Amino acid sequence: MTRNDLLKTLLPLLSEPFVICNIGIPSQELYALGDRDNYFYMLGSMGMCGPIGLGLALSTPAPVVAIEGDGSVLMNLGALVTLAHQGPGNLTLVVIDNGSYGSTGDQPTYTAAGTSLAEVARAAGCTHVVECNGIETADALQTSLKSDHFSVIVAKVDPGNAPVGAVPLHPIMIRERFKNRVATTSFPHGNQQQT
Amino acid sequence: MGSELGKELVEALKKGGVDFFMSVPCKLLSGVIASLELDDSITYIPVTREEEAMGIAAGAYLGGRMACLVMQDSGLGNSINALASLIQHFRIPFVLLISYRGTPGEKVGTQVPMAMITEDLLKLLRIPRLHCHRPGDELEIPDMVEHARVAQSAVAILIDFHFVQQRS
Repeated sequence: MTRNDLLKTLLPLLSEPFVICNIGIPSQELYALGDRDNYFYMLGSMGMCGPIGLGLALSTPAPVVAIEGDGSVLMNLGALVTLAHQGPGNLTLVVIDNGSYGSTGDQPTYTAAGTSLAEVARAAGCTHVVECNGIETADALQTSLKSDHFSVIVAKVDPGNAPVGAVPLHPIMIRERFKNRVATTSFPHGNQQQT
Repeated sequence: MGSELGKELVEALKKGGVDFFMSVPCKLLSGVIASLELDDSITYIPVTREEEAMGIAAGAYLGGRMACLVMQDSGLGNSINALASLIQHFRIPFVLLISYRGTPGEKVGTQVPMAMITEDLLKLLRIPRLHCHRPGDELEIPDMVEHARVAQSAVAILIDFHFVQQRS
């Protein structure tokens, strides 16, 4: 199972939460699977996906899912520490760990050589960490969306990219429609305590 | 920096519309950080590195908030890509409250090289600047925060040693 296969299994769960999607091919694959106005596609700034999710989740009671990658988490490991201590209950960090820098030519990351991001997350102070294979990820996400604590899901999949092109949206358009969607959506069943 | 001046600067930022604060530690701006720790009316989170705050600020803006990062000028060097390809590319209003370490009054020589290029870096990034050097300069802070919103850009407020000494 590749990242694209995994994203397909998550689609039914991604219609309501606000989704921050990682830079590069992950955003391109998600866009190609069906664009939605509750998706924020990162165009640049590798390593900022989890932090964007944190800032948003602290600013809305709505559920927020940040779709990270192993390479991007490794680029900004300190963010895991801040997330561990500040991540609110409406936030889920899904790390799609394919052991590969998929957007730059599938060079291996250190997770392919044994680094465990789940263990790193636990050591950083994250208390709800699940490592699972691709098939199990949708169930793990569903559980997290129903919970009232910040969760990290490390989903182990195979390397490989779908043949997709760049996200053909202007950054201001991505920003405005997403921001408007947040501003106009009420979540009576939001499970987060606003901080 | 005393806690009184720190509180004054925080109130000026809040008056401009900032409601979400982050910080990395700084001795020169310690009064600001002390004030933030006691303020229940805003969101405040310490971060591990300045670059991370760029992402958090973008997320907070998408959620309808206005963020400020309390940082040193050295942190500008840690943040250039996120500032350019996230904050400026998506045109996110954001306030950088920067202690202008390495300027006259500095005792630590290693702070000087980043100080010497800080204003040039901000110019290259097209980030408007307010340099608080003399008492009274801080009165422009609320307007500068409003300018971030109008310009849809990061803005930088530089606080130097002279300003803090004169106000203390």
